[in-house]
Amino acid sequence: MQTYFKTLKSLSLFLLITFFATNIKAQEIDLLLKGGHVIDAKNKINGKMDVAIKDGKIFRVAADIPSSSAKKTVNVSGLYVTPGLIDIHGHVFHGTENNYLSNSLDALPPDGFTFRSGVTTVADAGGAGWKNIDLFRKNVVEHSKTRVLSFMNIVGGGMRGVDTYEQDEADMDAKLTAASAIKNKDIVIGIKLAHYIGHDWEPTDKAVEAGRIASIPVMVDFGKALPPLPLEDLLLKHLRPGDILTHAYRYDQEFDRNGKMLEHKQAIVDVKTKKVKPFVWEARKKGLIFDVGHGGGSFNWSQAVPAMEQGFHPDVLSSDLHTGSMNAGFKDMANLASKFLVLGMPLADVIAASTWNPAKVIQRTELGNLSEGTEADIAVFRLREGDFGYIDASGMALRGKLKLEAELTLRKGRVVWDLNALSAPLAK
Amino acid sequence: MLKNLDLYWRIININLKMRNSKTKFTRLSILSFLLVFSSLSLSAQEIDLLLKGGQVIDPKNKINAKMDVAIAGGKIVQVAANIPANSAKKTVDVSGLYVTPGIIDMHAHVFQGNDLGSYIADGQTAVPADAFTFRAGVTTVVDAGSSGWRNFRRFKEQNIDRSQTRILALLNITGNGMYGRFEEQDKTDFNPEMTSYMITKLFPKIIVGIKAAHYWGDFTQVDRAVEAGKLAKVPVMVDFGEHQPTNSIKSLFLEHLRPGDIFTHTFAYGPKDRETVVDDAGIVKPFIFEAQKRGILFDVGHGGGAFFWRQAVPAIKQGFKPDVISTDLHSDSMNGGMKDMANVMSKFLNIGLTLEEVIEKSTASPARVINRPDLGNLSVGSEADVAVFSVKKGNFGFTDVRRNVLKGTQKMDAELTIRAGKIVWDLNGVSGPIWDSPQALTK
Repeated sequence: MQTYFKTLKSLSLFLLITFFATNIKAQEIDLLLKGGHVIDAKNKINGKMDVAIKDGKIFRVAADIPSSSAKKTVNVSGLYVTPGLIDIHGHVFHGTENNYLSNSLDALPPDGFTFRSGVTTVADAGGAGWKNIDLFRKNVVEHSKTRVLSFMNIVGGGMRGVDTYEQDEADMDAKLTAASAIKNKDIVIGIKLAHYIGHDWEPTDKAVEAGRIASIPVMVDFGKALPPLPLEDLLLKHLRPGDILTHAYRYDQEFDRNGKMLEHKQAIVDVKTKKVKPFVWEARKKGLIFDVGHGGGSFNWSQAVPAMEQGFHPDVLSSDLHTGSMNAGFKDMANLASKFLVLGMPLADVIAASTWNPAKVIQRTELGNLSEGTEADIAVFRLREGDFGYIDASGMALRGKLKLEAELTLRKGRVVWDLNALSAPLAK
Repeated sequence: MLKNLDLYWRIININLKMRNSKTKFTRLSILSFLLVFSSLSLSAQEIDLLLKGGQVIDPKNKINAKMDVAIAGGKIVQVAANIPANSAKKTVDVSGLYVTPGIIDMHAHVFQGNDLGSYIADGQTAVPADAFTFRAGVTTVVDAGSSGWRNFRRFKEQNIDRSQTRILALLNITGNGMYGRFEEQDKTDFNPEMTSYMITKLFPKIIVGIKAAHYWGDFTQVDRAVEAGKLAKVPVMVDFGEHQPTNSIKSLFLEHLRPGDIFTHTFAYGPKDRETVVDDAGIVKPFIFEAQKRGILFDVGHGGGAFFWRQAVPAIKQGFKPDVISTDLHSDSMNGGMKDMANVMSKFLNIGLTLEEVIEKSTASPARVINRPDLGNLSVGSEADVAVFSVKKGNFGFTDVRRNVLKGTQKMDAELTIRAGKIVWDLNGVSGPIWDSPQALTK
């Protein structure tokens, strides 16, 4: 009995100390985002909550965290608080060579596009191959405030030019690519195959082999093969569950040698019937991932509208950011997210497809959520109502009533974008 | 043809009326009129793009009125009320919006490159112009001294020649431009002759002035820059902010610079190494007005560290307005209080400048300062660089470089930007047909 009381006593003392300890901690919140509507798909939160940040990490997400416990409180009522967006298809291997999207001026330094649209992580989609991943790390990863990852190209020299370098099968080596991916696993989260025009599956199979060895997904930009290769075979015979078809809503008009219009090789919606092709549904069921990859030429209302109407929503929203897309229909990730809102996708789904879904796809489940203890990468959006318009890759417009705007972006708990000075003190 | 006949008939009628009003016309003059008018009428039917129903603000031409703007062959062909839509291949309804000349950002850093040892010259602190210009209504940037005579050619080949934005440059008096603070102190590298040759002998159309910046010493750098400016007959822009103790800006304005030379970072506040234009009591120093009267030009150059509400607000209240609004765009300013040119312009709108003043200080005024009267206006025949803005009403906040806030009620958004007649930015898709409308392509 005596020992029982002793235990109880020490237990209550322990509880008391723990309580005080947490209390002291609570008084040391560095930054409190108060009154916002939190959308965190991983933790199934979609409601009004406060988010507390300490030491660059998420400290707590709960209703009514008192301001008195925080060094600084930012009122975000009326706004949406989400994990920092993850864009898994950017082109950020900027440089000064004339090399298309590999160490070239057609690729963009990420920080000028990410934070102002709520993005905190971007994956470069195939700019670098195993031969220049080190340069990519040195020039881009280490010099960006944005977290930069890479889908490494199956072509050793990366995305150096569609017509020649990217057709060189001799430069596609599954083993070397996988070895380099494993060595650089802190930044390499997948393999990319793109732009291949040959009528054979070898590059695809090599990319999948590299992905298999390194246990990472493969992202494919498909549809350039001449004569065409069937998309159905790609999705159902060559790719694995978890592999990614990008440019999901692309439709290019293409013509054969006699000038006869060809059904686009990649279109997921049948152009005549306007129905999502049955094998596309089958591929989704099998676990294939459909990524937007908007870009300058890869998103068309004529594909996206019927697909969305039939319930074929994207798994992942992504940019295909480069100089050819930045000033056209794409603009930035917030603009892209807005497009899917006006196509009828619920806000919570749009956010999930830009945060937790891509985190799972690239197997980086520490990202894209607001779980306690994770690095505090956060976006705060305003959902504007009004008359807005959006253009697709062919310059066609769609009117809509909604627009997302990134008000506040935090990377590792630090404010890196503040559109309307929400976090700043008033001028004295 | 019928239309032309109708036009001829009207012209003849006009001429007849003029004859009636006792003006003498020979047959030859009527004929020449007919020829001129017929060619005009042909081009009127061949308008490529008509911006219809907007409020045109073109300070150089003293226009602030509801007018239409017609573009053909990449040039402005007509600015007038009620230009008929049927005379244009494509008409964009811009009613409720402001149509202005393409904005000139006179202070940016766009010598983007990958020399990891460098600060701005061919370095990562400089940014790609096209990524920031069109979305803010800007069609021309002046790179403010990122390069010097030793590396300007690389800048031209690598960035200027490959940008859609028109890039002009101020050449740094330091041979390698803004490579790094240390290198920028090298007096032996301030070479007025070589700097001026680069302008007069090689690139007079691209290099519009000289830049002196980041110097820790006496007036040597400024004087060399002015010497180069005299040799090349171009203005000098001075960033005068790193002298400890501070050098006198009164002496700079009244003894060293010439009328037409430019003082940038006007509203910076770093009293230890840069003398301020507003004193500690919040009063604009009297010699500032004197300097402005003398012809010294004051540029904003907002940047990551050079715009402070407690300088700008009292200055403007006391009637000291900047001559030119500009960004000082680089990677350390882009995500801070500066953001983009439209945001910087919005700040001045909220401090109390009129929209017309803001536009003037971002178009006609910088064009005048850099001696490029062909830019910053919508005169007929000029290259069709056009910006279309909306002015949002609401509750907005704007930060200075120390994260102090000024609350505002107006914000400018670049809705449409046109460079050499081509649409290069369309925020809300106003120029595209609705995708499933009969006007849409079959795509």
